[in-house]
Amino acid sequence: MTKLLATAACNLDIDMLNACYPLFEEERVQAIEWSFDALFDRGVLPPWFEGLLQVYSNAKRLIGHGVFFSLFSGKWLPEQAQWLETLRTTSRRFPLEQVTEHFGFMTGKDFHEGAPLAIPYSATTLRIGRDRLKRIQEAALCPVGLENLAFAYSMDEVKRHGDFLYELIQPVNGFIILDLHNVYCQLENFQISAEDLLSLYPLDKVREIHISGGSWEPVESEPDRRIRRDTHDDAVPAEVFSLLDMAIDRCPECKYVVLEQLGAGLQTAASRQQFYQDFLQMENMLDAKNKHRNGEAQNDFLPFHIVSNEPPVEDAQLYQQQRELSQILESDMSYNEAITALNQSSLAHSEWNMEQWHPAMLETAMQIARKWKKKV
Amino acid sequence: MKLSKALLAAMLTGITLQGVQSCTKDKDGPKKEEQDKENDDKGKPKPPTVPYNCPACGMG
Repeated sequence: MTKLLATAACNLDIDMLNACYPLFEEERVQAIEWSFDALFDRGVLPPWFEGLLQVYSNAKRLIGHGVFFSLFSGKWLPEQAQWLETLRTTSRRFPLEQVTEHFGFMTGKDFHEGAPLAIPYSATTLRIGRDRLKRIQEAALCPVGLENLAFAYSMDEVKRHGDFLYELIQPVNGFIILDLHNVYCQLENFQISAEDLLSLYPLDKVREIHISGGSWEPVESEPDRRIRRDTHDDAVPAEVFSLLDMAIDRCPECKYVVLEQLGAGLQTAASRQQFYQDFLQMENMLDAKNKHRNGEAQNDFLPFHIVSNEPPVEDAQLYQQQRELSQILESDMSYNEAITALNQSSLAHSEWNMEQWHPAMLETAMQIARKWKKKV
Repeated sequence: MKLSKALLAAMLTGITLQGVQSCTKDKDGPKKEEQDKENDDKGKPKPPTVPYNCPACGMG
């Protein structure tokens, strides 16, 4: 089993860095995870942040976490080619130990805005996802991985997610980020046990674990029910620490355990103190687990072969369906109007299986898409 | 992991003096009052902007 590194998600965000600073000062941060694509317009890094990245990169403790690639967009977009070019340049400047992206497609109209939501688990999406992972690997020249999604429309998706992730990463010898708050969301929203859900994931492919906090949101379709959402704006719940304790021993290849919290949730001294305490609790747990891990990895997660020069895989029908779905989710339609629109859309009676979507989860998808819709 | 005192001091200065944020692709957009102020301030150096949530960091 590999040794575990207490890792902080650390971006160029004053509140996040403020919260992390005491941990850096006390030499507790063993690796950092950087969302390298979250700069876009700014482009220029302050020298001190560059220095921080360089130190961790030189020590082989810098890992990259992409946000905006939109892995499953049905159409290959110029922005995706640009994203890969940025990754190529960034990873030459700050060599990364691994690169990861999120599962799903972005709801925004250019697919680099909005929120990532679920896709059908089909041969088409499998082909597209595998193609995109190869391109990421070719650009970054390091192991690549995918994070499990917090959101699902139905129990069937929840149960099939682990298998689909496994199918996606196989050709690139990739790995999985097991986000335990995302797992917690699914446990709460679909009433499945942790034991049952974890057994559905290929845990030997987990190289990284995320822990974070979230929030509860009401839904009109079920007034006496709350939906757990992965908003990353609060402390790590005790349930997620319990999941961490339970999951680590089943993940022999896990190396990085990352505490994530958004800067927006770290603006008060009390929230930063709680973040510090959460990191210490995570660190203590990892120290105890490391006593029983010998440090040997069975899988280096390096690519089997270099990518070919084939054109990007695309699917016009999937792209059209994604556009229709985004439009419905982001509109100001009521829930009932959205159902009517979906029934009249090309998603009806298709691989999206929207007839089986849970009403509360469709409503949640509408809330998420509208929350992150670009305001003009 | 140990960081040099020089780097820690530079970070502290940077954090204290610079308003920095992540996730700046305008996807969450400024609020209207921020936009109005931005229009008024055209041509002037940009002040530090207010951090906001990032969808895929916290995809909720």
